[in-house]
Amino acid sequence: MATRPGEIEAALSRRYAAGFVTDIESDSLPPGLNEDAIRALSARKQEPAWMTEWRLAAYRHWLTMAPPRWAKLRLAPIDFQAISYYSAPKNRPQSLDEVDPRLLETYEKLGVPLHERARLAGVAVDAVFDSVSVANTAREELAKVGVIFCSMSEAIREHGELVRQYLGSVVPRGDNFFAALNSAVFSDGSFVFIPKGVRCPMELSTYFRINAGHTGQFERTLIIAEEGAYVSYLEGCTAPMRDENQLHAAVVELVALERAHIKYSTVQNWYPGDEHGRGGIYNFVTKRGDCRGNDSRISWTQVETGSAITWKYPSCILRGDRSVGEFHSVALTHHWQQADTGTKMIHVGRDTKSKIVSKGISAGHGQNSYRGLVKVEAGAENARNHTRCDSLLIGKHCGAHTFPYIEVKNPTAIVEHEATTSRISDDQMFYCRSRGIGEEDAVSMIVDGFCRQVFRELPMEFAVEAKKLLEVSLEGAIG
Amino acid sequence: MNAVLSPFVQSMHAAAQAARLPGSGIGWLDQARAEALRAFLGRGLPDTRNELWKYTALRTLERRAFAPADPDAATRTLDIDALAPGTRGAARIVFVNGAFRADLSRLDGLPGGVTLAPLSRELAERPEPLRFLLGSRQRDDDAFAWLNLALASDGVILRVAPGVRADPPVHVIHAGADAGGEIAWHARSLIEVGEGARLDLVEHHVGGGAQGHFADLVCEVMLHPRAGLDWTVLQHAAGAMTLLRRSDAQLHDDARLTLHALELGGRLARHEIRATLAGDRARFHGRGAFVLRDRQHGDTELLVEHRGRDTVSDAMWRGVADGRARGVFHGSITVAQGADGADANLSNKNLLLSRSAEIDTRPVLEIHADEVKAAHGATVGQLDENVLFYLRSRGIPEAAARRMLVRAFCAEALAGIEPRLRERCDALLAAVLPGEVLP
Repeated sequence: MATRPGEIEAALSRRYAAGFVTDIESDSLPPGLNEDAIRALSARKQEPAWMTEWRLAAYRHWLTMAPPRWAKLRLAPIDFQAISYYSAPKNRPQSLDEVDPRLLETYEKLGVPLHERARLAGVAVDAVFDSVSVANTAREELAKVGVIFCSMSEAIREHGELVRQYLGSVVPRGDNFFAALNSAVFSDGSFVFIPKGVRCPMELSTYFRINAGHTGQFERTLIIAEEGAYVSYLEGCTAPMRDENQLHAAVVELVALERAHIKYSTVQNWYPGDEHGRGGIYNFVTKRGDCRGNDSRISWTQVETGSAITWKYPSCILRGDRSVGEFHSVALTHHWQQADTGTKMIHVGRDTKSKIVSKGISAGHGQNSYRGLVKVEAGAENARNHTRCDSLLIGKHCGAHTFPYIEVKNPTAIVEHEATTSRISDDQMFYCRSRGIGEEDAVSMIVDGFCRQVFRELPMEFAVEAKKLLEVSLEGAIG
Repeated sequence: MNAVLSPFVQSMHAAAQAARLPGSGIGWLDQARAEALRAFLGRGLPDTRNELWKYTALRTLERRAFAPADPDAATRTLDIDALAPGTRGAARIVFVNGAFRADLSRLDGLPGGVTLAPLSRELAERPEPLRFLLGSRQRDDDAFAWLNLALASDGVILRVAPGVRADPPVHVIHAGADAGGEIAWHARSLIEVGEGARLDLVEHHVGGGAQGHFADLVCEVMLHPRAGLDWTVLQHAAGAMTLLRRSDAQLHDDARLTLHALELGGRLARHEIRATLAGDRARFHGRGAFVLRDRQHGDTELLVEHRGRDTVSDAMWRGVADGRARGVFHGSITVAQGADGADANLSNKNLLLSRSAEIDTRPVLEIHADEVKAAHGATVGQLDENVLFYLRSRGIPEAAARRMLVRAFCAEALAGIEPRLRERCDALLAAVLPGEVLP
């Protein structure tokens, strides 16, 4: 295990010296998926043989699988042979002048700093300079306490043993159709390792990881928190990401050992398609956390406002005794967006607890489904779960759905589920309007109140951005 | 179709070929039955990938074969008055092992405007009005409904003319009896309540003997504008019985359906209730309780669809699982686009009394309209230890205290039942609860 700070630092600096980014840009594979494509992909990423074999095994399993059809989503079949599984965006704008003015307008509304705008809009990396120094400062600080935070490709090369030990241990290669696909062709992602007893000194964010904006369409993230460790990880950002890949299939694995606490926050704001439902990202994500040790804790917080299709169920396996799983979610669908999202809480250990808070907002022709499973295994003495799902409907043509599954095999368990669906009432609107608050402001105020319970779980600056994001996303939903 | 037909499907296929069903020879009916049989054979039994059967696996059923019918069903002696007390002298229609029993039924003395007859007789006398019920017009994927259509040999045809108030209640009794082997029967019923009419209906499922019969019952309920139906189901079929029921209710403008269901019997007992609130201001009020023990498997599927404007549904189910039992509840509320003003409420609470028992519950909301109020809740838990302690501290033995609490737990779902029937429910419940009976 390369956990000594010196080694890590050396590894980190090596990557930048090699100018890895430019390497990626220079080549790509022709569309199509077969064993040769995977071998070529693995070779280009300079992966060890075991990794290539792992990918191939996943691919062979994937071939035997069919895409899931149980979600309440309407989408055209995806042609997996039409996708290039190794490519860098070719036609990057060279400066902000070449970026779609509507995108810039959104950044303006969200108050995204100027230097970030370029990066988010996918302007070529060498045109972005400010964030490099930020990233390096962060890395130094992390290295001091032994935290490894790097890209997955780098981790495979530099921390092969760690990756080999944990990769696929939470989401197995053949777990589901999209996880198998991801396992075969994952492009890049984050790797985080927090050693025993370390409280990560800062919130880790993909912001700090240079090149994180181009992890490709098959992102793979692995976070390991050893005994007593703590980490808060932020994925994505509130600003819309420009991306030319329509299909995204990510896998995130979290491992919490004894007394470890992992907090994972996501703001997902991929391109949702236009107001007529054209375009937009298909986002199929498998996220799962394993509370492997006693007294461990995993919290998922997500704000999902982007993508044309969202298929995502961040889950917790509460294996350790007294382990705790949490899921807080706000999902917004507007125009023709469809989201089928929720969580699974699998209680295995004794005295395990889980809490689910899900807020769904549907506007326009949006379809929003909560799909959750709470399962109490026979040995999970005194398991507790509380689930609360609320849906808010804005407009005549949207839909809000709740599909909770509760399976209890232990008589000492207490499981509670409650759900409501309602719309913004005329009374609420009248109250606000009579106090001189404009219609859009009133809606955003009410929506903010509706989501507050979840926003509270977000790191502070994220929460402020998330609130603004909902406002922007709901523009034009009323009237 | 499965490459090799399972013993169950084979036995049903054989039954269809050998059967001489009432009404055969009528062109449209023969055609509908043949089509239904093809549909059933093509589908085979649903597996757990089917969302409506997710928690009810039919692998065991699939391996069993059933004799097509009980040849002596018409002559078996069965003490119906003991099996369904309180029905003596009342209007009642009795089926033993699926066959209509004129000697045990009482079809006269009904108020004017109420007609009650077995399907077999209606098919012989005036089949045409049943074209609507038996014509092949199913669009869904329910293999057992197709099987039922292909093989139903009897059932209840009950009609209430517009404006008629049909008091006192009409009893429908489905009784199982020893038949020297395991048999299957299929009953198809129609309950039609005319405009502004009212009906009290009590459905009993009783079992004499311990045979593991298979019954597949489909019931269509048509409630015309302003019609009202109070429907109570007391299901305490024989302990080895496989009982699959499906009830489809259509509610027109201002119609009201009140359903009370107490499910206690059967080895595998499933009731799929579909209530479609098609008309404006239609109301569905559902209450139910299931108490399962030993190796029982109980499955309640409650599917309510709001289509009209200003419709109301309110459902509350209580479940208890003891021993190695498995209780399944799936309550689904759908509010269709345009069904503005819908008000939907669903609650399902469950008690898990044993280490080997299991409860699976799934309260689903699908909302496609915005002027809607919808809420659901579900819980799984156990008896409150504090309350138990309180009772014991007052000298009530633990077993009796537990029993008392379980009864109270179920009582909430049965509260609205008319008092005489309520007593019957209590007695049935008392017979299945574990522990000592208080003096």
